Amino acid sequence: MVWDSPAPAREDAVLDQTRELEKFLAEVERRAFRMAQIALRDPDDALDVVQDAMLKLARNYSAKPSAEWRPLFYRILENGIRDLQRRRSVRKRFMVWLPSAKEDPDNEAQDPLDNVAAAGPDAPEILMQSQAMEQLETSLRGLPARQREAFMLRNFEGLDVAETAKAMGCSEGSVKTHYSRAVHSLREQLGEVWQ
Amino acid sequence: MNEQSRDGLEERSRTLFKDSVDNVDMRVRSRLTQARHAALEAASASRRRPWLLRASIWTPAAGVTAAAVLGVALWFGSPLGHHVMTASDNPTAFEDLDIVASSDDGSGDAMDMLQDDVDFYDWANKAGNPEPAA
Repeated sequence: MVWDSPAPAREDAVLDQTRELEKFLAEVERRAFRMAQIALRDPDDALDVVQDAMLKLARNYSAKPSAEWRPLFYRILENGIRDLQRRRSVRKRFMVWLPSAKEDPDNEAQDPLDNVAAAGPDAPEILMQSQAMEQLETSLRGLPARQREAFMLRNFEGLDVAETAKAMGCSEGSVKTHYSRAVHSLREQLGEVWQ
Repeated sequence: MNEQSRDGLEERSRTLFKDSVDNVDMRVRSRLTQARHAALEAASASRRRPWLLRASIWTPAAGVTAAAVLGVALWFGSPLGHHVMTASDNPTAFEDLDIVASSDDGSGDAMDMLQDDVDFYDWANKAGNPEPAA
C-alpha cells in the first residue's frame, strides 16, 4: 500500500483549492495594500504586512472553506498593522532618549506629489482626485484605530457587519458603533472640503 | 447629519479609494504578485507535509507537555512535595554527617593541634629574639 500518493479525486480538490486561493489573493491584494498603506503611510511596510498576511492565511487557513478567508485575511492584516504600529511607537519612545537620534527618513510622511500621475490631458482632474484622496487618508489616520478599521473594512472592502465583526474580533454592535463614529468624524472633517 | 450626506461621503470615499487601488504602480503590483506566488507555494508545501509533522498538530501537544513538566517540577520543588529524608534515601550523606559529628568525641585532637601551635610560636619568638648572654 502506498501512503504518499493521494487519490486523483483528492489531487483535483487540492488543485481547485489552490486556484481558488490564488483568485482570492489576486482579488484582495491591491485593496489590502492600499488599506495597509493608509494606516502605515509607508509603502514598503504595507507590502511587508500584506505579504505576511498572505503567507499566514495560505499556511494556516487554506484548508478552511473559502467563505471564511476574507474575514480571516483581514484579521491577520489588521493584527500585522497594529503590531507594526506598536513597534514603531516603542522605537520612537526609545529614540527620544538617544542624544544623536534623528528622524528616520523612511518614516517621513509621503510627499503627496509622489502620487500625482504624470501631466496629461486630465492632469487637473487627477490632481484634484489625488488631493481629495490625500485629505481622506489624513482624516482616516486621525481616527482611532478601531474606527478606521471598521470604516475601511465596511466601506472600502465591502464586508458586511458580521464579517467585519469577525475580522475585527469584536461584536457586531461594536462594529456598528465604530463605523457610525468614524462616519461622523469624517463628515465633520471632510464635510466642508468635499461640498 | 442627514442620511443623504452620509451616503455621499461613503460613496465618494469608496470611489476615491477604488481609483487609488487602480492606480497602484507597477513596482507594487509586481511585488504583490511575487508575494501571492510565495503564499501559494507555502500553502502547497503545508499540504504536502504529512499531517503528523504539521505545527498545528504539535503546538497544542507541546504546550500541554510543557505545562505537565512544569507542574511536576513545581510539585517536587514545593514544600508539599518534600518528605522527611531517611538513612535509606542516601547512605553516603549520613556517613558524612557521622564524620562531622565525630568531632565531639575527638575534640581533644583539636586541642593538641592548638598546643603544637603554641610551642611553635614560642620557639619562633625565642629564635627571633635571642636572649643576651649573661
